[in-house]
Amino acid sequence: MLPSDPILRQYQVEQFYYAEAELLDDRRYDEWFALLEDDIRYFMPMRFNRGRREMHLEFSDDRQSAYYDEDKESMAVRQRKLACGSNWAEDPPSRTRHLISNVRIADGAVPGELAVKSAFLVYRNRLERQTEIFAGERQDVLRVRDGGFRIARRTVLLDQATLLTSSLSIFF
Amino acid sequence: MSAKTPEATRDLVARVFDEDAGKIQGRAYTDPDIYALELETIFKRCWLFLAHETQIPGPGDFLSTYMGEDPVVVVRQKDGEVKAFLNQCRHRGMRLCRSDMGSKARNFTCVYHGWVYGLGGELVGVPLEEQAYGKVDKAEWGARPVPRIVRYKGLIFGNWDADAPDFLEYLGDAAFYLDVLLDRSAAGTQAIGGIHKWVIPCNWKFAAEQFASDMYHAPVAHLSVSMSVKPVVEEEQVDFGHEGRQFRSDRGHGTGFFVGAGRRQLLGSFVGPEVARYMSEEGKEQAVERLGFVRGEYMHAQHMTVFPNFSFLPTANTVRVWHPKGPNEIEVWAWTLVEADASDEVKEAYRVGGLRSFSAAGIFEQEDGENWVEIQRVLKGSSAQDTWFHIGMGQGRARTDDPQFPGTVGWVYSEEAARGFYAHWQKLLTHPTDPVIPQNEGTCTGETCHAAE
Ligand code: FES
Ligand SMILES: [Fe+2]
Repeated sequence: MLPSDPILRQYQVEQFYYAEAELLDDRRYDEWFALLEDDIRYFMPMRFNRGRREMHLEFSDDRQSAYYDEDKESMAVRQRKLACGSNWAEDPPSRTRHLISNVRIADGAVPGELAVKSAFLVYRNRLERQTEIFAGERQDVLRVRDGGFRIARRTVLLDQATLLTSSLSIFF
Repeated sequence: MSAKTPEATRDLVARVFDEDAGKIQGRAYTDPDIYALELETIFKRCWLFLAHETQIPGPGDFLSTYMGEDPVVVVRQKDGEVKAFLNQCRHRGMRLCRSDMGSKARNFTCVYHGWVYGLGGELVGVPLEEQAYGKVDKAEWGARPVPRIVRYKGLIFGNWDADAPDFLEYLGDAAFYLDVLLDRSAAGTQAIGGIHKWVIPCNWKFAAEQFASDMYHAPVAHLSVSMSVKPVVEEEQVDFGHEGRQFRSDRGHGTGFFVGAGRRQLLGSFVGPEVARYMSEEGKEQAVERLGFVRGEYMHAQHMTVFPNFSFLPTANTVRVWHPKGPNEIEVWAWTLVEADASDEVKEAYRVGGLRSFSAAGIFEQEDGENWVEIQRVLKGSSAQDTWFHIGMGQGRARTDDPQFPGTVGWVYSEEAARGFYAHWQKLLTHPTDPVIPQNEGTCTGETCHAAE
């Protein structure tokens, strides 16, 4: 049941995001993957430098490639990879901090869903001194389930055209 | 660090790789003078990948890329031809084009003082020309053209050297292996849109060498993949197999691959069941028709580098350039290629299969970045730079009379192609005026020249 009071709704969504960030930063991946709905699309398009008259083509579209374009099954592969004991890119694991802000909530396309935009700042540090900072926007479809939220769709718009990392082995 | 003379740098290059002993020294990957010499004598004399035809389909479509560290713009002309020019204004040196790509450009206007260049880089307009200059000799002051362009089965390559050998000669026997990627279908290939770009702080040769020569790392570095993907055929675990070959080119290129059994399982684990199905069914039939059994069906899981920095994996159809950015950094530019006449479902399978396997977030590629980065970090140490690395796998075991595969061919787990890569690298750096490719008997090549001195 979604609360009708917008302040309460804002509070609940923000609390959900903080708890979600905690799961990622505490490396409780199995609990995080469990937040993804069966019809999840986890999508992070590419982004290009283009002239102003071509800004409608700034992000890659559905027929182009993407940094992430995942369904439940491919996310399960990534989940198994994180846990398999030979996932060298995250072993030793990165230290991350997900800061979620600027949460703006609208009604979703169907009852029981919310369309939520938020801003993120993700700090990642690994091994001796490798440090990266990612900023961007998340566009989510959240679904109410079992008294809480689940993520039915997440689009991650990264504020970079050239990925400033040697490998992308974390989630946003 | 004080700069060495070119002679001293060449002496160093001659010392850091010892083919007969099967060893290479860490310094080959860190020395700034060697790097400068590479830009000068390798990246300005070799054929470098520029673009796929379908990335600039129509007149005025363009792509910004690099040849070595030189930015260039690759542009489709009104008559369908392709031209490329240095992305540098001839007035005061401003970058002419600051977009990654664009379509239907009419010209390129410098945003500093407004000099205007046509689609081929020719200077066509100078603001206040008459009042300020009287006259500017436009034929003289166009953007610097890339003098040689070749279009080969959908790919566009450029060369700064007007006297460079023809592309097919430059490839030599490697053409046989390159065609596995490009020539499976009469319809040719197309690029899936979007070029992945990411930064790896490592020397460009680690990446180029690995794609030329290193199947050996796959079972260990990518162990997590075989542990995470579901087998295409249930109950059948992914087995990397041991049956395969590696090819060493006498002009720096290299490739390796498995043969025979396990093909469908490996394909499935790389890029998913739909790609495995396509490559085993309708995609296979026409490939065998065009390329024969050996290249159409027998070879699989191939890795390859065309010297110096163009690499690809025909199974996953990931294609990339390792753009050098100093001795300690590269930018990877990767994209996915697919047969033009494949069904929409197959293209979609390649699209997601490619990005999920071989991109910055790809389940294979994540580990490759990790290895090269840490190698390069260790090489900050002076002792580390003096260390000799073992590059002797398969030494003396390759043969030139394989009935199925042309060139010098060894076992799939070998460093024959890596030695070929570095032998060619060494030759180009130490003999900068010799021809880039081996000449017929009687002409001076790097080896004979040296012996004669
Ligand atoms: S630098 Fe380009 S017009 Fe002056
Ligand atoms: Fe690899």
